[in-house]
Amino acid sequence: MLRILIWELGKLVRLRSVQIGLLAALVLPALWAFAPGLRAQYGLELVSGWQVPALSLLTGMDFLFPFLTAMAAAEVLGSEVSMGTLKLVLLRPSPRSRLLGAKIVVVLAYPFILLLVSLLGSLWAGLPFGLGSFFGGTGVGEGSFAGVGQLSPAEALAELLRAYLLAGVVLWPLSALAILYAVIFLSTTSAALAAVSTLLLMRLLVAFPALQPFLLTSYLDLYVRPEAVSWGLPLLIIYTVGFSLLALLIFERKDI
Amino acid sequence: MSEAVAASTSGAALEAQQLGKRYGRKPVLENITFAVQPGEVYALAGPNGSGKTTLIRLLTGLAFPTSGVVRLLGQDIYNGGYAARRALGAVVEAPAAFYPHLTGRQNLEMVAYLTGMLNAGARIREVLARLELLAVADQPVRTFSLGQRQRLGLASAILHEPQILILDEPTSGLDPQGISKVHEILAELAWKGVAVLLSTHHLREVSAYADKVGILGGGRLLEEVRLGAKGETYRLRVDDAPRAAAFLKTVPGVQNVSLRDVNVIFEGSPNVALAALVRENFQVQFLEPDYFDLYDYYRERVKNA
Ligand SMILES: Nc1ncnc2c1ncn2[C@@H]1O[C@H](COP(=O)(O)OP(=O)(O)OP(=O)(O)O)[C@@H](O)[C@H]1O
Ligand SMILES: [Mg+2]
Repeated sequence: MLRILIWELGKLVRLRSVQIGLLAALVLPALWAFAPGLRAQYGLELVSGWQVPALSLLTGMDFLFPFLTAMAAAEVLGSEVSMGTLKLVLLRPSPRSRLLGAKIVVVLAYPFILLLVSLLGSLWAGLPFGLGSFFGGTGVGEGSFAGVGQLSPAEALAELLRAYLLAGVVLWPLSALAILYAVIFLSTTSAALAAVSTLLLMRLLVAFPALQPFLLTSYLDLYVRPEAVSWGLPLLIIYTVGFSLLALLIFERKDI
Repeated sequence: MSEAVAASTSGAALEAQQLGKRYGRKPVLENITFAVQPGEVYALAGPNGSGKTTLIRLLTGLAFPTSGVVRLLGQDIYNGGYAARRALGAVVEAPAAFYPHLTGRQNLEMVAYLTGMLNAGARIREVLARLELLAVADQPVRTFSLGQRQRLGLASAILHEPQILILDEPTSGLDPQGISKVHEILAELAWKGVAVLLSTHHLREVSAYADKVGILGGGRLLEEVRLGAKGETYRLRVDDAPRAAAFLKTVPGVQNVSLRDVNVIFEGSPNVALAALVRENFQVQFLEPDYFDLYDYYRERVKNA
């Protein structure tokens, strides 16, 4: 199984959508760090490089990261369909669930890879602002960017890691949903489009307050709402597991 | 389902029973029943869109039928789990697909791993050599020509020495040498006891070594032609064909004499017929075995379907 996982990971980094996505995640922070006009528009003044990651997260999680995640998850299966290699592997005496299982694991790892690249890109872009102790907040901890006093690099990093980890989990259901759609449609574009449409539709459903606690989109900013974690986190994981199991179930009897 | 259908035909390596497949309301295959014995070469023929690829996808477990069963060595391929595919080597769709960024050898290594083969290195070398791919084996598959990819497809299918080989148009895209190479390999495997099923548009070539030809048309198995009786019929050209035919009918040891165009067709001993004709001063131009022309037959059959 480990060998299959490594294979899948190797194939993942070769996907166009993944390469473009990682590049975007790397470049986005520089935009914030080196464009004072942009910060002025939001009424922000950076006092430390530790504040750049939060800006990347705030802007990325709005649309870019969910979109990139869905795209990559759809392409992980869709590219094998379009290359015809799915047939090659499925003809072998190896359970279908093992193959798709490995893909699901890799697809769920992808948001963290994406976010790690974003974090590294942000810290690199934040270097000119200094990465030492500072008075203020990281933007993802108590007191947001204003903070509650002095913050050491270790504390800042811990806050950021926690936020980035949470953001990764927030993207999970979307990964699982996109791969579920990919199993159904056996096409990258259809699956990515369906996943993104679902995301946009959910945004509109906010109009129904009764539904709101159950919508994925209500948790895209979970990393700055500690009070929502106890309800949101289990819900997101349940969605992820549900979509993944459904994908495995459908794939077992899917005509290739 | 009746008892007769539920019981498995003993000994068949591959058998399909009453297979049916619809896409939506459109039936693509209906009531396909046939079996391939170990050592038998079964060729599937049929016009474009007659359902050959669809049938092969069903037989290999890639797609699922609306009705019917497929057994590989007696194991149900849909409900027998992946173990039923252990005995199967297959290429579905021409040209065979591989990971373009991996080399030919790496692709085969991955296939070997997924098949559960240990220490496959020597065997990989062997099949690469057999298909004359050693020179390009360490180049990425993306640089392979169509024919090289097809050969790699066959290499991957025979890698684990399967007892059942299912190939969709294995010779499409190959040069004449490649085609005869593939035919040679398939004939040799069949001789070793492998059950071979292939789809093809090259009926004349395949009829040289296929045992049976299944003709698909409009989603049905129109007919199974057994090619066992090769070489028992003879064809001869002679100066006065009608008179020669009439004469041969009176010769003992020669049967079923008939006229086809300018040729006389007969069964029985060519020696006896020739000696008798020469004795009667007929001018014999040639005498040769009258191979059953599958292609002509197929054309007639499909036209009348
Ligand atoms: N996924 C699908 N959905 C709907 N119809 C399909 C599907 N796959 C195949 N068909 C139909 O099934 C029929 C048989 O197609 P198939 O590819 O099996 O033919 P074939 O005999 O392999 O043809 P060829 O000689 O061109 O390879 C065609 O009419 C095709 O339109
Ligand atoms: Mg076909």
